[in-house]
Amino acid sequence: MDFSLFLPNMLSIWSKYWQLFLFTGLKNTLILTIISVALGTVLGTLIAMMKMSKLKAIRFIASVYIEVIRGTPILLQLYVFYFVLPNIFTFLKLSQFMWVSVSLCINSSAYVSEVIRSGIQAVDKGQTEAARSLGFSEGQTMLKIVLPQAVRNILPALGNEFIMMLKETSLASTFFLGDIMTSYLVVKGVSYLTLEPLTIVAIIYLCVTYPLSKLVEKFGKKMANPNSYRNRKLKAGGKI
Amino acid sequence: MEMIKTVDLHKSFGELKVLKGVNETIEKGEVVSVIGPSGGGKSTFLRCLNLLEKPEEGKIYFEGTEITGNLTKEEKHMIREGKLPKPAKVDIDIHRQKMGMVFQHFNVFPHLTVAKNITLAPMMLKGKSEAEATQMAKDLLNRVGLLDKYDEMPSNLSGGQKQRLAIIRALAMEPDVMLFDEPTSALDPEMVGEVLDVIKGLVSSGMTSVIVTHEMRFAREVSDRVLFMAEGNILEKGAPDQLFDHPTHPRLQDFLAKVL
Ligand SMILES: Nc1ncnc2c1ncn2[C@@H]1O[C@H](COP(=O)(O)OP(=O)(O)O)[C@@H](O)[C@H]1O
Ligand SMILES: [Mg+2]
Repeated sequence: MDFSLFLPNMLSIWSKYWQLFLFTGLKNTLILTIISVALGTVLGTLIAMMKMSKLKAIRFIASVYIEVIRGTPILLQLYVFYFVLPNIFTFLKLSQFMWVSVSLCINSSAYVSEVIRSGIQAVDKGQTEAARSLGFSEGQTMLKIVLPQAVRNILPALGNEFIMMLKETSLASTFFLGDIMTSYLVVKGVSYLTLEPLTIVAIIYLCVTYPLSKLVEKFGKKMANPNSYRNRKLKAGGKI
Repeated sequence: MEMIKTVDLHKSFGELKVLKGVNETIEKGEVVSVIGPSGGGKSTFLRCLNLLEKPEEGKIYFEGTEITGNLTKEEKHMIREGKLPKPAKVDIDIHRQKMGMVFQHFNVFPHLTVAKNITLAPMMLKGKSEAEATQMAKDLLNRVGLLDKYDEMPSNLSGGQKQRLAIIRALAMEPDVMLFDEPTSALDPEMVGEVLDVIKGLVSSGMTSVIVTHEMRFAREVSDRVLFMAEGNILEKGAPDQLFDHPTHPRLQDFLAKVL
């Protein structure tokens, strides 16, 4: 293999197809990711609540849901949602893109539900007891005492879930759905080059994931020390 | 007047029987200390009083109202025969508002300011206005020497300060009785005094209190009565002087020999 042409080829591909990579590929990847994680979080919260339910039957349903989704490959789930379900739920009239989004959202919800549940359970039991002993109801205790503290555990993990999902969406290229990996397939098809477009795609992924993971890291530290912002302000004589 | 009365209280954790039929009455205005070896069921007894633990058997009367909803065999029988109406469900949250509890590990709310720790419950549960609650928080903080911490986060407080905050957080609900579960056991020795002083001030103002403690000198000084609890029951009870100077139960004699 001749590497002397690697850089020039890459540059020429970039200058020809950068709009495809960014405005089609990256855009679709981000849309898929945001939809999956956002809806996955809503659904995941529900599943987490079910998993912590007092009723055994409801806990059982949530457990089965979580185990099935976490125990099977995401590609298999995508096949089911892409090839099988549209033929069963014909009345739904979802686009292929939406079917894949739904699949990723459901996948995300199983992981997010465990993130939320462990975030809630990581809050010291003494907090609940103190709140209940003051006379707060179960719901008030969850809302005012436990959840605000659990958010500090949950948000960084949710950020990581976003990064994971951003990479998982590459599987959508299996169905040629216009994400970044699909752009790669397109460019490979017209240019007969592999390494060069792959490198470009890798760099684009890294340009998004690296800053994001740094952000999550920084955010996580700040969350672990909830007082830093407040206290700096107080020490500076500010009023909050 | 009876503040709290327990009748034949039983509590188990799985196979482990922790309370084995505790009968006790705490009068209004009384200060009662509970002493005894670790694992004897003191915390469980205290936590049953406000139903943080639910006793499987026995009754608890708080200010005359039975709060466990437990029924004796005869009562169950009579209800089945229609001779007794089904008891109304008690709202434990309402009763808990009147029972302040102080924990060994403080359990102050770390995500709220010192002021909010105090005002949250009175505002949400008793409908106090912000102005009322704030004034109350200031008065209480002043009373325990923490007024300058008003806007701080609890993480900036020492252990002793956190426990003083936890005490006045409970007081802000204007409870009828205070339950203390080893309030100084998690503190560095130099901070024990400041917390005991706050409790002393409180009980001398007439607050009905049940205090689980390992501070024998303190128990002797502030209590009207002392209960010795071991092996899931109250083995001896009486005035502090009598109990400490003339213990009769061998388990108590043994315990005092070890701790004094
Ligand atoms: N939540 C619980 N689950 C299981 N066992 C418990 C629980 N709480 C207390 N116990 C057990 O009950 C016994 C009495 O505990 P406790 O009431 O805390 O005693 P004390 O406060 O006198 O030290 C101990 O053996 C303890 O291990
Ligand atoms: Mg204890």
